[in-house]
Amino acid sequence: MTTRKSGSRLETEIERCRSEGQWDKIPELVRQLSAKLISNDDLGELLLGECKLQAYLKENPIKQGSSPRGPRLKLVEVRKHLTAALDRGNLKPDYLQEASLLMAKLCYVEAEFREALGHYGRVNLDEMQLAGAPVYRLSMIAEAYATKGLCLEKVPAGSPSLSNKNSGSPSSSRSTTDREQEIITCYEKSGDIALLYLQEAEKALSAGIQNRSPKPGPTTQEQELGYFLETGLQRAHVIHFKNGNLTQGVGRFREILRAVETRTTQNLRMTIARQLAEILLRGMCEQSYWSPLEDPPAVSPLDDPTRQGHIYIKNYSLSRSPRLYSGENLFCPQENTEEALLLLLISESMANRDAVLSRIPEHNNDRIISLQSASVVYDLLTIALGRRGQYEMLSECLERAMKFAFEEFHLWYQLALSLMAAGKSARAVKVLKECIRLKPDDPTIPLLAVKLCIGPLHWLDEGEMFAKMVIDMGEKAAEFRAKGYMAIGLVYSLKATDASLRSSQEEYQRKALGAFQRAQSLSPTDHLAAFYLALQLAVSRQIPEALGYVRQALQLQGDDVHSLHLLALLLSAQKHYHDALNIIEMALSEYPENFNLLYTKVKLEAMCRGPEEALLTCKHMLQIWKSFYNLTNPSDSGRGSSLLDRAIADRRQLNAMTLPDFSDPETGRQQVFLLIWDFLLSVTLNFHSGKTDALKSEVYIGMSKPAEAAACTQEAANLFPTSHNVLYMRGQIAELKGNIEEAKRWYEEALSINPTHVKTMQRLGLILHQLQRYSLSEKVLRDAVQVNSTAHDVWNSLGEVLQAQGNAAAATECFLTALELEASSPILPFTIIPRAL
Amino acid sequence: MFGSERSVVEEWLSEFKSLPETHIPSYAGSLHLKKSLVPALYRVIQDPNNELLEPVCHQLFELYRSSEDRLRRFTLQFLPELVWVYLRITASRDRQSNGCIEALLLGIYNLEIVDKDGNSRLLSFTIPSLSKPSIYHEPSSLGSMVLTEGALCQHDQIRVLYSGLHPQRETFTAQNRFEVLCFLMLCYNAAVVYMPLSSYQSVCRMSSRLCVCGFPRQQQKLWREPCNRVLLDPEFMVQMLTAVYHAIYNGEWEMGREALEDIVYRAQLELYSQPLLLGNAMKSSLPESAPDDPRGRKVLQVEVTPTVSRISISAITTASIRRHRWKREDTDGMSGGEDSFNINDPDEGFSSGASNSSQPSGTKAGGGGGVGLRGSSLSSSSSSIKKAITARLSRDREKVREREREADRKPELLTDHQPAESRPPQRQQSPPSSINLEAIHLSPIKKHLSFPVGPALVRTGSTSSSKSFDCMTFNLNGGEDEQEEAARGEDKERGISVGGSHRHSTISLQEEHLVRPEEAQELLPAGAPLTKQSRSPSFNMQIISQV
Repeated sequence: MTTRKSGSRLETEIERCRSEGQWDKIPELVRQLSAKLISNDDLGELLLGECKLQAYLKENPIKQGSSPRGPRLKLVEVRKHLTAALDRGNLKPDYLQEASLLMAKLCYVEAEFREALGHYGRVNLDEMQLAGAPVYRLSMIAEAYATKGLCLEKVPAGSPSLSNKNSGSPSSSRSTTDREQEIITCYEKSGDIALLYLQEAEKALSAGIQNRSPKPGPTTQEQELGYFLETGLQRAHVIHFKNGNLTQGVGRFREILRAVETRTTQNLRMTIARQLAEILLRGMCEQSYWSPLEDPPAVSPLDDPTRQGHIYIKNYSLSRSPRLYSGENLFCPQENTEEALLLLLISESMANRDAVLSRIPEHNNDRIISLQSASVVYDLLTIALGRRGQYEMLSECLERAMKFAFEEFHLWYQLALSLMAAGKSARAVKVLKECIRLKPDDPTIPLLAVKLCIGPLHWLDEGEMFAKMVIDMGEKAAEFRAKGYMAIGLVYSLKATDASLRSSQEEYQRKALGAFQRAQSLSPTDHLAAFYLALQLAVSRQIPEALGYVRQALQLQGDDVHSLHLLALLLSAQKHYHDALNIIEMALSEYPENFNLLYTKVKLEAMCRGPEEALLTCKHMLQIWKSFYNLTNPSDSGRGSSLLDRAIADRRQLNAMTLPDFSDPETGRQQVFLLIWDFLLSVTLNFHSGKTDALKSEVYIGMSKPAEAAACTQEAANLFPTSHNVLYMRGQIAELKGNIEEAKRWYEEALSINPTHVKTMQRLGLILHQLQRYSLSEKVLRDAVQVNSTAHDVWNSLGEVLQAQGNAAAATECFLTALELEASSPILPFTIIPRAL
Repeated sequence: MFGSERSVVEEWLSEFKSLPETHIPSYAGSLHLKKSLVPALYRVIQDPNNELLEPVCHQLFELYRSSEDRLRRFTLQFLPELVWVYLRITASRDRQSNGCIEALLLGIYNLEIVDKDGNSRLLSFTIPSLSKPSIYHEPSSLGSMVLTEGALCQHDQIRVLYSGLHPQRETFTAQNRFEVLCFLMLCYNAAVVYMPLSSYQSVCRMSSRLCVCGFPRQQQKLWREPCNRVLLDPEFMVQMLTAVYHAIYNGEWEMGREALEDIVYRAQLELYSQPLLLGNAMKSSLPESAPDDPRGRKVLQVEVTPTVSRISISAITTASIRRHRWKREDTDGMSGGEDSFNINDPDEGFSSGASNSSQPSGTKAGGGGGVGLRGSSLSSSSSSIKKAITARLSRDREKVREREREADRKPELLTDHQPAESRPPQRQQSPPSSINLEAIHLSPIKKHLSFPVGPALVRTGSTSSSKSFDCMTFNLNGGEDEQEEAARGEDKERGISVGGSHRHSTISLQEEHLVRPEEAQELLPAGAPLTKQSRSPSFNMQIISQV
């Protein structure tokens, strides 16, 4: 307001009270005012009318969606005041306008919509000054636009609307579209000015506090927006969406969100941010997206095609607009998931802040409301991040929700799943435990826990506990019952592999077999049940039975890589090496980069076709390995990129190979690397030895060039100095060179790192035998047999030692066992096939 | 297949062949007017023995190869049906009749993986960070996040590649099958808005059937055709969910919800965490009621929301705790220079502008209001990282204080074990030394550093940008202090238990891997190799610089 006079403290005080909505102080101020000047009587009437109207609205607030209720007794007085102010015409033009606007508002409250529009017709709303106007006046103009919009909506389009813009034109000719356009423009202007008002009010408030008192007084008190401003802020986009005009609705949402937030708009912003994110996730896609700073596309599939006539064109500009977020390097989303994520992160921070933490009964309702609103945001965040594979970040977000998620199953479960998806297995299991406590009847949860326990974690005891939970559910577990038995079978099967004592090994194998049989009978159409039963039978060297089940598994799932692999190994155990190789090659045509298959292929080729071909396959493997690691070089990809995740997942699959040689808990890369060194070394050894029998050639060596192998091993040793495998290889090379003592030292070192490495034990036993230390040799070999009772070459060595000691009877026993085992021995241990849920 | 449908398809086949290049745009515009064509094409695709299948697949590919978006989208609408037919036949091991569909799918894939210039198409997006100002917010008004590793990583907006570097594929193998199909579904989802309703029905049908066929639930369905179980990939299921989610809100409410249920059912049976996670979120955020019109869209229901918070002011929330704490500190006379560090109390994750303004700022006692807000925004925009770190440091300021009190009670004990604690209190009041203090006792970041094989480091390595990590190091070392360095070393030796026992976070899950080193070892294989290969030199340097 340009006419504001300085000097009058009273006027300033009145202005402040009006801006801050302290209506109860007005009558007293008016009394002081009228004591001063005669000409202020009209202003007094205006102020009294205003404060009484506001007081009435405070006591009888208009609810959203309800109509005003018509004339009321209390309002008669208001009308009297305002009529008095208007009639005498002594008011300054600014105040006169204000009086008219108040009158129009009163008319609306009394449901006199046409009369209200008449008042708006007389005051030219568009010409009211926004620049320099006092704060209360901004609010008044915003309310006026909103009220005008409300009135226009109430009054049928055909009837005369005395809008200032087209007041002269014949109203009957106007189409509904024009009317709709006018209504929306009113609301949008109202909303814009309301935002400006709130920003200015907050500025004035803080400035006022600084000037007047050192204590923050009414700052903490929430400012209520009231029906008219709320309508003005929101009605425009509500209409856009009702008309199916998503493009405009999105545009309006963005406009509101870009305005600098005030305390009063926080709740609104949170809602709108969430709703806009919903639209972006549910109704938009990458190709239909346009950035907030771009113009929307002319034709958008977002908009309801049946309502094409309702296109709204924004065609106004205000002399003063709300402040927008500005600055350099402002982040502006360029993609729909980006924008959705930004909005959801903002909503999340707000939802998180407002979540009710106390659990006292009085706040129960509040708590549930805040929990629900936060929960919706977290669900949307899950959808947005999940479709981009950002599970790591998601798990961090969900973790922030935990402080108000006490006993809230959904949030706990989602956290557990996100941790699992992010590869944070140990914590996922902890959270899953809590989920089980909250929902003990759901068999999926313990099964998820078993999956982690027997997979990446190798917590077999915990896995057994979770699997038993599922089994204890009995019939209630329904389709998951078979999975429960499969899970416990896998736990026992892995325990058997880990067990160092033959008796407990056999006990676990027996239990595993029983569980797998149960699983298979419960779910005969599940190829995994048949496959694991076959695998367990194979490990127990029941080769023909295993073949039967693996064929069954393959009938159910023809290209299951593990079933094919097992079939090949079973055929190799029956010494049908060529058939096995055919199967492996067939499997490789479906899985050309599967290291396990390639490894088996190398061994089989060395057996059937000679080491040259095996060496070629080896080189091929090295190439795949190289390209694999080049591809996943993380230097160019960022945090938790899904590509990275995929690479990690692939690597996990590689890690899952439980080669007895590589069972040490070291990194996956090292395992793969060593695997390849092992191939190279063994193939090199075979190659140079010129022997075709790979199994024997690994033991009896007549290698001419140990230097090459030594160089290989040295390189491996530099990379992994504490690997028992490397030490074992060094021992072998020392043996090749004829340094028996040195070899013995290497083997002993290898055993000090991994005391149950059967291959090393066998070699050491043989060396001790050569050194004629028979009883020690016998001891080492007996230990080796304890660890792995199916290692036929160890039995053979043991037999030789016993023979050397003159114990012919025992030696015969050993040789017979070795023969028998060799007859059912696969080219690689069956346990090379990963076992996981 | 009826004769009329057949003739519609045949006409379509011949029309496009004879079409001159110049007529293509008008042809693309009129294609959707052929109402009977799309159902007829579905019939052809569904029937593997139809002799029109091969020419139809060929022509669909020709359309996809054209530069006209509308023609490409015409082909794309059949993608779900094609994927379904392909996977069903693959599961039944009847490969030969699948050839032309396979060829079409691979053809689309090979076209999509490269951009116009023939370079590998890289699909990436930026993860927004609240600590960077955006068109929708100012960092100071939301407060900083807890300075977890995650927060540090997010300090820079990170550009993430979510798809790319796909090699050309000549054939489908079991190994590449879902890589190709995932990518195809990604393309479908990127254009899902342009798909007609019939395509949404097809994607719902495909998802339901793929998830239940061969499982007991198939018996409850109308569709009972015997079929082998179809192997599914978790990522592919996520793509299915994305498409189904869209269908639910854009006209296929009933079918979409059924498909969603079926995907969740299958994800449970397969124990796949990713689709289960998304499916649960989608289910729990579904509106309670169907749209009024069963085929209507329900992207959003908006009502005028009250601007006043529905939460009563007396309820304890994160924000209220913060307000309370400030008040208390103010009356305790604790507001010194130190309080300026308390602007954002990260215990609560975020602090708000609202609370900010009601908080008596340390520098301007009683200032409050919008001024406080503006002030903090100024400082934060200049050094948001530093601010976040300070915020993090202040997080345990309370605990520090508690321990100080403890230290007063039994000083001799603490002097023995933690020399840093017994420093004169006035030193702790000054900002730099408070940073040092924090550096000594609680930062998990340092713990990771002292634990080179721990999973946390691995995670950092694979996820964080080393830049932000450097920042951390720098700030921790900000106040160079011999004593502090020594203390840090000692703390490192005593390792986990000391730090762990003093942390009382709302959930103590965080500690799990700190107190279980053996577990940490087992966790390692998951992410380690990559880290080792790519990061280890710089990380080792940092570790060295820490020690």
